[in-house]
Amino acid sequence: MSNAMEWLQFVLAPQMINGLSIGVAVVLMALGLTIIFGLLDVINMAHGEFYAIGAYLAVALLATGMSFWWALVLTPLLMAVLGFVTERGLIQRVFHSKDRHTLTLLLTFGVAVVLEDALKIAFGANPLRLEAPISGATEMLGLFFPNYRLFVMLFGGALIAGVWLLVFRTSLGAIVRAAAYDRNMSASLGVPVQLVYAGTFAFGVALAGIAGVLLAPIYSVFPTMGKDFVLIAFSVVIIGGMGSIKGALLAGLLLTQVQSISSLYISPVWSDPLLFGIMVLVLMWRPQGLFGKLGSA
Amino acid sequence: MNPILSVKGISVQFGALKAVQDVSFEAQPGKITAVIGPNGAGKSSLFNLISGAIRPSSGSVRFDGEDVTGRAPHQLLRYGLSRSFQITNLFFELPVRENLRLAAQFLEQGRGLFRPLARSQTAAARVDELLEQFDLRNKADELAGYLSHGEQRRLEIAVSLASRPRMLLLDEPTQGMSHGDTRETESLIRGLSHNHGLSILLVEHDVDLVMQLSDFVVVMHQGQKLAEGTPAQVRANPAVQAAYFGEKL
Amino acid sequence: MSTPASSSTLGPRGGALAMASGERPRRSAATWLAILFFAGALLFGGIALALGDVFYLRLATEALIFGGLALSVDLLLGRVGLLPLGQALFFGLGAYVSALVLKNWSDSFWLALGVTLAFSAVAGLIGGLIAIRAKGVYFALISFGLAQVLSKVVYNTRELGASDGIIGVPSANIMWGVNSATPSGFFLVVLAFIGALYLVLRYLMDTPVGRQLDAIRTNEHRVSFLGEDPWRYKLGAFVAAACIAGCSGALYPMLRGFVSPELMFFQVSGNAVINVIVGGTGTLIGPLYGSAILTGLRSVVGSFTTHHHIVIGVLFVLVVILMPRGLIGYATPALQRWLDARRNQKENR
Repeated sequence: MSNAMEWLQFVLAPQMINGLSIGVAVVLMALGLTIIFGLLDVINMAHGEFYAIGAYLAVALLATGMSFWWALVLTPLLMAVLGFVTERGLIQRVFHSKDRHTLTLLLTFGVAVVLEDALKIAFGANPLRLEAPISGATEMLGLFFPNYRLFVMLFGGALIAGVWLLVFRTSLGAIVRAAAYDRNMSASLGVPVQLVYAGTFAFGVALAGIAGVLLAPIYSVFPTMGKDFVLIAFSVVIIGGMGSIKGALLAGLLLTQVQSISSLYISPVWSDPLLFGIMVLVLMWRPQGLFGKLGSA
Repeated sequence: MNPILSVKGISVQFGALKAVQDVSFEAQPGKITAVIGPNGAGKSSLFNLISGAIRPSSGSVRFDGEDVTGRAPHQLLRYGLSRSFQITNLFFELPVRENLRLAAQFLEQGRGLFRPLARSQTAAARVDELLEQFDLRNKADELAGYLSHGEQRRLEIAVSLASRPRMLLLDEPTQGMSHGDTRETESLIRGLSHNHGLSILLVEHDVDLVMQLSDFVVVMHQGQKLAEGTPAQVRANPAVQAAYFGEKL
Repeated sequence: MSTPASSSTLGPRGGALAMASGERPRRSAATWLAILFFAGALLFGGIALALGDVFYLRLATEALIFGGLALSVDLLLGRVGLLPLGQALFFGLGAYVSALVLKNWSDSFWLALGVTLAFSAVAGLIGGLIAIRAKGVYFALISFGLAQVLSKVVYNTRELGASDGIIGVPSANIMWGVNSATPSGFFLVVLAFIGALYLVLRYLMDTPVGRQLDAIRTNEHRVSFLGEDPWRYKLGAFVAAACIAGCSGALYPMLRGFVSPELMFFQVSGNAVINVIVGGTGTLIGPLYGSAILTGLRSVVGSFTTHHHIVIGVLFVLVVILMPRGLIGYATPALQRWLDARRNQKENR
């Protein structure tokens, strides 16, 4: 009996807490992706690269002597600008074509290729380390939890709650959801649809950027981190349901828990195949994911 | 005479909405049977159930004596049941001729799949026949998407006829048509039935057209069958009049 | 909604289809562009042989091999309308199978190719059963994910050489003393192979089977109401594409003498998609042009900087925005207009 308790306390719980801190960041990234899909109907294959850029931006800002906290605030703002420019400058150009879905997929895929190599040029191919801003650990229930991870969980959780409130409880959120539901109607009601699109894309990109900053001290920062992460981000969004915020939240937390707990028993090489396998199964059994679209959340 | 289509107790539910509830009727071979009803009556759902687009939660559909309940559309075509679409569902990027050829390929019954197109002579002959019959000869090489609405609706019916079905399901064939086009379509449908002996099941909004054209009418209301009979019988039915209260009958 | 407001930016145009239905026996623009490609390749080979060159012959052979992969992508993207972001999976698998056969069993070109074909068909069937249920982005992601997962597995499998792959693959014996070690000889063999692939695909497009794929791309929903089960056709196309990719991959170790997990990485899949889009989706010859031009470009730019990806990436983004039908997609109608104008001139004399 006490063995089970010990296992729970010293083996399972720490993994779950770790998983939770990762999960929060994954959810933030997935939220960005699902909001972009839910409103713009655009599959942003470059989302992983925006996550990577967020991490690299933080590294660059810290190198200028800025504190982590300022970087945490500044990075999403800069990412939002990047996202805005990308949407207006590139995505809008293929948005009105008949083959929009394929073209935006290809376009964002091309952007991802360019961004990844740009990062390699700017920062070199070697992994970079980012020091955690909070060191030390807190003792809780007889275990030590790294303070930074606790911070990530709390901050990320607050941010997720903030996104939820923004989308579902503010008039801005209502405008965005209306535009997602019926674009023409919203436009004829005076909603500046172009601005809403660009702003939403920027918002989604900013979320990916914040995730990058938050996870940078935990994983190291390297040019292919975007590509590695994009599969889990898409898996979460697909399993949760493309366009569903609730789905991104639940699936993100669930999948990262599966990932952490399974890492106790199987080699990390198999964690990606496991997640991918789950995604395929969900797609086969319920192609729309667990929940529906943004319009109905 | 045995009915060509026999629907018994068919139902389907979308969540809490009982779109079609326990509907039964029969369609006789060589006759034009129409299904009418006010908005939301469940006509489209009934149509989709019969044509294999959705599966019923209960009930059965028998075609010429064979149970075809819940069969996929491509299987239904093998039995001889073909349908047209309310929202024109053509291959808009392909020429008119190719639209018809794709549909007529069915007549080759899987022969010559890997042979050049020119070898599929049965299909090619059928295409020429249809181009003639539906007056689309001069548009044969035009992309289907560039046709006028009326021409597209004609092509839509032609495509559904290409496989020489025994029964044709027409989903609001005159939807959005001008008066002239509607009259043309009416005589087209009548010709198909009287000259070619084709059995037709029609879902329509245009009640006048239905009354002039059909041999048998089924009236639906809120997912259930309200009444059935010849046009005259249905017209005189007080329950039907009540259901259409406020609408021209 | 019921008009193609701008007729599809990808894929062959309806007009070209109408012409290809056998009404006009004269050579179309598409045929001329194909002749140009293969004649050009032969000319290139002749010059290289005369100059005693090895490097460029091998580079061109590699371009053709990746051209085969591009053909398999075009079959899915340009004809069925499915975007495969993981086709390198089959390419790499084919390469590994071929390497293993050549190294451990026999150095026969035909045996390696035959075993690879069988293996690719099975792999394609399994992959297809998983992926074909999905459409659009879901299909792309499953394809991407399958390649990611399997390439990681191969990367970590010691028996397959792990990250180093398999080296020391002997050259393949083709026939009459021609083997893959001779640059010019193998170049011609690969050219013939790709040419045969192209001809078969081109032929298929004007058969009921090929046209059914076009119909599925245009309006899948209606297809089943015309009596055919689209799922079967999509699966068939997927398996065919896997076989084409696999057999093309089989040629790689014959050329380079080694295989590595990199052949399955996203880079290869991504490059193939780029080759197809730049060359011209759905045109079949476009992807071959695209592969030739871009392989050359990558090599040239690559000799200046390791960052040739960004150059290709920017080029690709520009193509997607400005000329989504690709080089051949625009060249064909332009050439056709010119040919028609010339014929009218001749006839009016």
